[in-house]
Amino acid sequence: MKLVIDESRCKGCNLCVLVCPYGIFQEGSELNQRGIAVPRLDRPERCTNCRLQHLYGRLLCGMCQMICPDQAIRWVEEEPFEPHSVVVEF
Amino acid sequence: MSRVEFMQGNTACAEGALAAGCRFFGGYPITPSTEIAEHMARALPKRGGVFISMEDELGSIAAVIGAAWTGVRAMTATSGPGFSLMMENIGFAVMTETPCVIVNIQRGGPSTGQPTRAAQGDMLQCRFGSHGDYSTIALSPASVQEMFDLTVKAFNLADRYRVPAFVMADEIVGHMRERVTIPDAVEIVPRRKLEPGQLPFDGGEDGIPGFAQFGSGYAVHVTGLTHDERGYPDTMDAEAHDRLVRRLIGKIESARFDIADYEVENPDAETVFVTYGPPSRTVLQLLHDMPDEGIGHLRLRVVWPFPEFALSVFANAKVFLMPELNMGQMAREVQRHVDQPVIPIPKLGGDLHTPAELKQALEAYR
Amino acid sequence: MTAEEWYRADRLPHIYCAGCGNGTVINCTLAAVEELGWRREETVFISGIGCSSRAPGYILTDSLHTTHGRALAFATGVKLANPGLNVVVFTGDGDLAAIGGNHFIHACRRNVDMTVVCMNNMIYGMTGGQGSPTTPPGAFSTTTPYGSGEPAFDLAELAIAAGANYVARWTSYHVKELVKAIAAGMRTPGLSFVEVMTQCPTNYGRHNRLRRVSDMIEYLRTHALLVQKKERLVQEGKTVPDEMFTVGELVRRNRPAMGVRR
Ligand SMILES: Cc1ncc(C[n+]2csc(CCOP(=O)(O)OP(=O)(O)O)c2C)c(N)n1
Ligand code: SF4
Ligand code: SF4
Repeated sequence: MKLVIDESRCKGCNLCVLVCPYGIFQEGSELNQRGIAVPRLDRPERCTNCRLQHLYGRLLCGMCQMICPDQAIRWVEEEPFEPHSVVVEF
Repeated sequence: MSRVEFMQGNTACAEGALAAGCRFFGGYPITPSTEIAEHMARALPKRGGVFISMEDELGSIAAVIGAAWTGVRAMTATSGPGFSLMMENIGFAVMTETPCVIVNIQRGGPSTGQPTRAAQGDMLQCRFGSHGDYSTIALSPASVQEMFDLTVKAFNLADRYRVPAFVMADEIVGHMRERVTIPDAVEIVPRRKLEPGQLPFDGGEDGIPGFAQFGSGYAVHVTGLTHDERGYPDTMDAEAHDRLVRRLIGKIESARFDIADYEVENPDAETVFVTYGPPSRTVLQLLHDMPDEGIGHLRLRVVWPFPEFALSVFANAKVFLMPELNMGQMAREVQRHVDQPVIPIPKLGGDLHTPAELKQALEAYR
Repeated sequence: MTAEEWYRADRLPHIYCAGCGNGTVINCTLAAVEELGWRREETVFISGIGCSSRAPGYILTDSLHTTHGRALAFATGVKLANPGLNVVVFTGDGDLAAIGGNHFIHACRRNVDMTVVCMNNMIYGMTGGQGSPTTPPGAFSTTTPYGSGEPAFDLAELAIAAGANYVARWTSYHVKELVKAIAAGMRTPGLSFVEVMTQCPTNYGRHNRLRRVSDMIEYLRTHALLVQKKERLVQEGKTVPDEMFTVGELVRRNRPAMGVRR
């Protein structure tokens, strides 16, 4: 699963930055179209929910989502894994 | 089979409410209305209804509006000081189109005034007392029988038009005892239901939206803020506010021909008494004592929305005389609609006009 | 999102300022509702007036946004007329304890079966940051420019004294604990009162050198004293700092209640 911030809802309060135990959310610096600095995600695949939500069949940690006052954080299904041809360069 | 009983006006009002299917009463004791609450406290639990004595009148009307949204017929009864406290939430009921019945057994004001004496001093307050523009329905009983009949009617009008309806009685009809005929069943006009696909605050053709009671699965948002047809707040759009307020007023005012309820006597008369509530009894006495086709009488049972067309029934009228238990509140409204002089005959202090007093006025102005 | 289908998605984003705790409290309340498995068509959210009271408008159930201070009186009517409905009230400190104080104590006394969630931001938020009955002594607001000179109400204590069956207090930072407390309140017959100390960075923070959301969160975190810890302090004869507020479950009891579903 993939962690996403809904840019149409986020107001850039950085509460998620404050609570994520993995430090995945980083204060944003660039303003989006709505004039909001949405946090950046630093290696979100480290999030327990991204990795283990399906395995456990329930939401795990979820601190960022619960505290996000703007209902902007969610996990979405990723595209099914597609094999790419790997070009090996010597 | 109907039954005939001898009872007090306030009891008849409570009996009317019960016959109309009222199953929720929220109130706070106040003279001279308390007998209604006491009667409901005894009767409602036996019929599966709810009686609750709230902490004040702000709470009474609030609880009544809340109960109404669960689909039941709900009412409260009060008098001047309590009526004043209800004003903000009466506006809320208007804005949210909540059907409910508010009985005001009027007493002498301003302020605590005369708790045990009659008055008709709240006739404009029931029409204009809450802030903003709106319209409501108000009935005025003149007998114990009408305390019963008009309370039933108030519930039907409230449900039909989705508006708070007022029974504007007073200490005289509230405490008087008379013979009343109580029918086995009364006519019930139900609230029109919200149809699937319809929006909860879309007035449709007649301006009256369908009602979706809480628990019926429509997820209705009810707010006193200016809202759109979905019920969602929309407080900055001038057009949305204009549309809503005009609909709230229009749905009542355009139905005034259907809502109207009045009696006409001697339509060819040149001198016409216009009355509502107990002062009409003095006029009836006068006309009984000295029959005179030159004296007309318009007696209103529905006071608001005001049926101005009823005045033009008196094609030959030269003057309108208005005995009221106030300083001439409804006389202002009548004067708005006619070119002839409208003479207020105020009476304050709690007693009705005597026939002699009306005769005097008649001699002075006819 | 937790309880995604309980939100009126077509009304989001909501009107709350960036970093306002009210949105978090709605999340937690809906998470508790999901935990209980309530059905949407049997649940009604009711509120008065204020930023906090806008909450029901964002929830996809029947919802009643009423007049300032009167939410509990409206809710009493709804619940007594139809005990089959689950009733939750959202209110603010001004709405509940100033203009609505009388309805508050009487709803607790009657112990009407509903859950009352108060977002206590210690200020009148919606009108721009005036002092409220819960503004702490010394705190600044637009109407207490020299620091509030009045003692503040302890809303949870008030609810306990007036008779509510369940009383707890948490903050909008303690989200997991808050969900548990609200759910426990919803399970308890009678009136459940959950006070949530909530950050209002815009109006409380701005006047009290807590302008950044993280500063307000730090304030809530450091001023919250777990009730068990407080009891220990008292037992040991140590002083409990004045400016701290207790958090945790404060009362759970079984006084007779009204409007309980039969
Ligand atoms: C009868 C009445 N008086 C005053 C107001 C103005 N008013 C609106 S919101 C509010 C204060 C709300 O404060 P609180 O309940 O603490 O909620 P918050 O906005 O802080 O969440 C006031 C005074 C009103 N709407 N109605
Ligand atoms: S908590 Fe929500 S609104 Fe605040 S910055 Fe993070 S994603 Fe945006
Ligand atoms: S004023 Fe305060 S309480 Fe209101 S939305 Fe803004 S932060 Fe929240």
